Amino acid sequence: MATPADTSAQLVFAPNVLHNQALNSVKFLSSCFAGAVAGILGLENWLGFALFIASIISTSFIIYAVNCRGKPARYLPGGLGELINPGQDNIFTFILVWTLFYGIIHVYD
Amino acid sequence: MDRLSLYLDPQIRDWVLFPITLVMILVGVLRHYVVVLLQSPPKKLSRAATREQRALTRSQILRATSANSPIPPSFYKAISQNLSEAFKAGTYLKDGPPKGDAPPSAPNPLSDPAAMDGMMAGMKTQMVMMVPQMVIMGWINFFFQGFVLIKLPFPLTLGFKSMLQRGIDTPDMDVRWVSSLSWYFLNFFGLNGLYRLILGGDNSADASRDMTASPFAAMGNTQPGQPQDFNKLFKAERDNLEFAEGLYSWVGENMETKILRKYGKLPYDSK
Repeated sequence: MATPADTSAQLVFAPNVLHNQALNSVKFLSSCFAGAVAGILGLENWLGFALFIASIISTSFIIYAVNCRGKPARYLPGGLGELINPGQDNIFTFILVWTLFYGIIHVYD
Repeated sequence: MDRLSLYLDPQIRDWVLFPITLVMILVGVLRHYVVVLLQSPPKKLSRAATREQRALTRSQILRATSANSPIPPSFYKAISQNLSEAFKAGTYLKDGPPKGDAPPSAPNPLSDPAAMDGMMAGMKTQMVMMVPQMVIMGWINFFFQGFVLIKLPFPLTLGFKSMLQRGIDTPDMDVRWVSSLSWYFLNFFGLNGLYRLILGGDNSADASRDMTASPFAAMGNTQPGQPQDFNKLFKAERDNLEFAEGLYSWVGENMETKILRKYGKLPYDSK
């Protein structure tokens, strides 16, 4: 009755999984900077969201290539999905920072 | 309507935009530390009670990897049988082996002081979470009402007009010009990431998380507490141990053959 998920769960090293929190920090900071860039450039509507998606793709590509060396399943329990997924928090962070910078630069004189 | 641009006083930016964000960040951090300070240290269990819980945990750990077990058969069977007999005889029970005549009564959650502490702690954190949000919303509604604060860079439907432009009675203005309450909502959702960065993953400043968790966490925290009949748990665990023993197989079994095959010294089809 040992499903493959059980046997591979036995091989996960818990302190390393905790260290993967660094990945969350990277995602948060990249969404902050993407929001700032979108706001400063004055991007509106779908252009801003396109920038966000581009930033997600480029960040995850860099982590995939440099850190995970092409094998995210070895480093992240969730595999490629967990690498790319920005998380609900970061989407709202992007919108907040985007609105903030857009307002500071383009709305206020 | 699309190229129309309102001119906003820069003082609004200085005195409303930044202060609201700053206040929300600081209140979040304050809330986290208040919760940390309010948390009473976990009640120390007596040695017998700890032993009883740990015995259950030991058996669960043993069972968890039984199909691919890292320990050799002699060890596994010895531990398993030892635990099994101990559960049956009740040597690990907190109050000693069961008497046989008096059925053990599950402690009432209201009278058991340990479970009460758990419930009180949960309710205290809930109070601390909700009160600052209400206060800040009231503060914003009182002081920062009736003017346009910022323009959203993305469009929204007309349905949002009533929520985001509260206090500004212009039927024609673009929904993208919003009042300060909507800035509060943006901050409410957007600052969670910042809290996670500065306060660590398990912070208590995360407001939207306890909105979703609050009805269920209060229930869930009282259930797996003290009122557990360990005798019944031990009996169930005995059955589980037997089942796991049936599933048991050692990862190192036939290791000689596997290694020889891996290094090519033995053909694959020979036994």
